[in-house]
Amino acid sequence: MPIKILDRLEEIFIALLMASATLITFIAVVHRYLASSDLPIESVQDWLVQLDLSWAQELTIILFVWMAKFGAAYGVRTGIHVGVDVLINRLGDQKRRFFILFGLFAGALFTAAIGTLGAHFVWGNGAHYAWLSWQGLDIGDVPEGPVTPDLEWPTWIVYLAIPLGSFLMCFRFLQVAWHFYGSGDLPHHDHGFVLGNTDGSNDDMHPKDMKGAK
Amino acid sequence: MSTLIIFVLLVALMLTGMPISISLGLTVLTFLYVLTDVPVEAVALKLFTGIEKFEIMAIPFFILAGNLLTHGGVAKRMIRFATSLVGHWHGGLGLGAVLACALFAAVSGSSPATVVAIGSIMLPAMVKAGYPMRFGAGVVASSGALGILIPPSIVMVMYAVSTDSSIGALFMAGVIPGLILAVMLMFTTWYRAKKLGYPREPRASWRERFTAFRESIWGLLLIVVVMGGIYSGLFTPTEAAAMSAVYAFIVVVFVYKDLSIKDIPKVLLSSANMSAMLLYIITNAVLFSFLLTYENIPQAAAEWMLTAGLGVIGFLLAVNLLLLLMGNFMEPSSIILITAPILFPIAMKLGIDPIHFGIMIVVNMEIGMITPPVGLNLYVASGISKLGLTEMSVAVVPWLLTMLVFLMLITYVPEISLWLPRTLGMLS
Repeated sequence: MPIKILDRLEEIFIALLMASATLITFIAVVHRYLASSDLPIESVQDWLVQLDLSWAQELTIILFVWMAKFGAAYGVRTGIHVGVDVLINRLGDQKRRFFILFGLFAGALFTAAIGTLGAHFVWGNGAHYAWLSWQGLDIGDVPEGPVTPDLEWPTWIVYLAIPLGSFLMCFRFLQVAWHFYGSGDLPHHDHGFVLGNTDGSNDDMHPKDMKGAK
Repeated sequence: MSTLIIFVLLVALMLTGMPISISLGLTVLTFLYVLTDVPVEAVALKLFTGIEKFEIMAIPFFILAGNLLTHGGVAKRMIRFATSLVGHWHGGLGLGAVLACALFAAVSGSSPATVVAIGSIMLPAMVKAGYPMRFGAGVVASSGALGILIPPSIVMVMYAVSTDSSIGALFMAGVIPGLILAVMLMFTTWYRAKKLGYPREPRASWRERFTAFRESIWGLLLIVVVMGGIYSGLFTPTEAAAMSAVYAFIVVVFVYKDLSIKDIPKVLLSSANMSAMLLYIITNAVLFSFLLTYENIPQAAAEWMLTAGLGVIGFLLAVNLLLLLMGNFMEPSSIILITAPILFPIAMKLGIDPIHFGIMIVVNMEIGMITPPVGLNLYVASGISKLGLTEMSVAVVPWLLTMLVFLMLITYVPEISLWLPRTLGMLS
């Protein structure tokens, strides 16, 4: 059950990131346009001009980076990541099974490595400092870490997307591997389906699963 | 030596069928960890900073806009308008399909999306009018490739990002080649239809044409928003992409009412899914190109190329062959992200214009999309038409040959690509 909740939260989170990035960029463009044109009502114009939206671009980037990291994890679950499967799709079932599991574990290994590196980086660039000062401990020479140029947010919070997203992705790879090991099913993404059509999934960019295998 | 190790490792990992993004990343990590003393921590930072560019964010926005537009209404009205213009010639519905693909390509940045949007409406109509399914599926799969040549184009954004070229200039450079290819594909369609005696539609009156135009105006206006906005300097390409997503949302939900508000979360999620996959490849490709640069591979390749005395003509031919070959096994974004860091410096040394080079690569990618075994358009069209992949590959042959001729034209006549952006003052 908790996994279902995690799945749902993940979906809501990335859809919201997508929507907010779009809205923010839209508002920033409209604002820039209105603020530079002559509006009939002077007070509105003044209000618009003094409204500073220069941080919009930075926020959009941050939102999309978070969307990319968590969306990549979601993508493992939906099987959207493309690979070169021309060769293994022509192998026998036993061999293909081996390579599919190998690929999934390689994914888990890579994301775990990146997650660890990312965590290390975040810790050394401000998270450690934040932890010490929150606990009221002696900070010593632990660096406070840089902040982002426009929003002036601590970068370690922004970069937290790397360890969190990577570890989630690692978990998804293991989850898919476990499921495949048990049932021989792989998640299938159908490019046609997303775009409004319902059939066909036999490209060589995704491994064939064991459905119908003897 | 290290070049050999890097590429053998990369190819070996890719052939096991793991995601391309993971093979790129693992190659870099393994190489750095085993064979160099670059601090591996720097890699984690690159994973974030790799996509910290506002230009890249055009990709998710264009995907969102495309996914919104694919749901029926806009494509249907464009098809009606296109058919009213060209339907009375031989193979009228086929010509209409090519023209509709060209129109849809001007609002969408993806080829498979164009195939789905036009094909799912046009194919049943063509079969009903008496065309063989093979003919229809062939037309739609190949003209769908216009999606990445006629701006906006996600593949062009990929090229611009990995070579630091101007997205705006690339978009403008795609316009004339896109129109020429559309005409060439229409000619092939017309010629085959005439020879095989396929039906024609009754000629539409000017009044009918005008009505069809007026009905499709909301979709067509999007072309003005994107291209006009970028050209006039009102928006950056990324902002234009965001504007087109919001515009598409308004048209689809409030004007044509193809989707209701309840469907929007699903569209957002599927767009986020697709974008995240592409952004993840970009991140890892940035790592990979960092490794290539660190090992001085692009410079070495450029020097080797120059001493080999291949010259511009030979080099471009070699690039075409390489890309066509890779196009058989990989999808466009990955090919561009992997090859551009190596090919681009060579092209620059040979004095090839970066924009012209980009358009040539995009045309190669279009052909890759309709050649087996990995051709995204083929398999999307096979999903709609229920034809097998082998039959689909045969069905596209006449248009595939047309595109090869077109590729030669684009490769050796740079003016086709460069005239418009130069006239608009977008080239330095």
